[in-house]
Amino acid sequence: MEAEVKDQLVSIEKPELIAPPDWEPVIMGILCNWCSYAGSDLTGTSRIQYPPNIRIIRVPCSSRVDPWFLIKSLQTTADGVLVSGCHPGDCHYISGNYYARRRFLVTKKLLNFVGFHENRIQFSWVSAAEGPKFAKVVIKVTDDIKKLGPLHLYKKENFEKK
Amino acid sequence: MNYTKQIQDIAAKLFAEGKIDVFVGYRVNGFDDNQVPALITDPQDVPKLVFTDKSVFNLVNYLKSEHTRRKRVGLVVKGCDSRSLNLMLTESQVKRENLYVIGICCEGVVDETGQKMQNCVECAVPDAVVSDELLGTPMSGSLTLTYRVNADIAKLSEMPLTERAAYFEEVFENCIRCNACRHSCPLCYCAKCCIDQETATLYNGANTTSSAFHALMTWSLHLAGRCVDCRNCEKACPSHLPLHLLHKQNESVIYENFQEHLAGVIPEDRGAFYKYSLKDPDDFIM
Repeated sequence: MEAEVKDQLVSIEKPELIAPPDWEPVIMGILCNWCSYAGSDLTGTSRIQYPPNIRIIRVPCSSRVDPWFLIKSLQTTADGVLVSGCHPGDCHYISGNYYARRRFLVTKKLLNFVGFHENRIQFSWVSAAEGPKFAKVVIKVTDDIKKLGPLHLYKKENFEKK
Repeated sequence: MNYTKQIQDIAAKLFAEGKIDVFVGYRVNGFDDNQVPALITDPQDVPKLVFTDKSVFNLVNYLKSEHTRRKRVGLVVKGCDSRSLNLMLTESQVKRENLYVIGICCEGVVDETGQKMQNCVECAVPDAVVSDELLGTPMSGSLTLTYRVNADIAKLSEMPLTERAAYFEEVFENCIRCNACRHSCPLCYCAKCCIDQETATLYNGANTTSSAFHALMTWSLHLAGRCVDCRNCEKACPSHLPLHLLHKQNESVIYENFQEHLAGVIPEDRGAFYKYSLKDPDDFIM
């Protein structure tokens, strides 16, 4: 049992470091005001449970999300990031999420290239009517990041050597 | 490749006709034969100008400086430099009527060891795409503009995740956060940069590995789809970081998914992130 718990605290990118035993993932959720934020509201009002690891930020549109936001949140506290916006074609500003989609792909690939597991940066389309889907997405992202372990992000002082 | 004589003649003529206030070219460094940029305002200094295969720097960078702002400028550009100039024109950073551009059909420049630079070996657009006067014989017609995967990118992509993470951790560790990469990039022209907020916080000091990660990643993603591969950042980097890897990776992803490359070749084309297609890949989104 002890070994199992320890394995969860090992980051997939840096297996030689172990996080403190009370580690819980912190996930930054950046949600579009018009779809996903209303969707998460619906999840709450429908009394559907989802993990409390997600910290939500509201933005006017998914194209408001500068790649900088993702990098900054990974650099500071987050172990993973979830960006959610309107389905293609549903953007309140007509084409914002199409522009965002291109940026997300390049950001995800670049972070993967410099040594982040690709599941640390996740994207989803959730509309205002998809409360249950939002809960499913958050459960999946939290599970994924629990499997990957804590993000070391070069802050070695927060970790113990194995 | 030696256009010293022609450039001196043109500069002298422009000063005599009163067409320019300042000329941006290259001059020989005081103590060896390496070259440094020269901003010339006095016609008497024109004989100092040179152009050989050691003229490595991207002079378009000097269009963001105090010395050239709101002035009429004469400028020497190679192929890659002219693409960054094209992007600056498209993004309304400089006015075309204030510039007199001497384009060079570049045969490639050399690094300190005398070898041809890697980006020059791979160069697809050696001729200046913006120019008032073109020196040399155009060669672009004989070259194919097909995309080639960079060998370094292919090698790194095949490495396991942990090794790649260790490699890039070393890169970020060696960064001293001098921001020379940003200042030497002609397309990083914002008066106030978002990554400077990082240095302002006591919470996460100026020179840590994570702050270097933050700065370099943000910088390269803000240049994604616009980078012209002039390697001015690498020439300026005091730690000799392989900064081209980040740009080349973005370039390869953009080409594979959106079929866009060679930023700045077409006038008024703002790069891959300023347009979209309904058929863009969507499979990575839940």
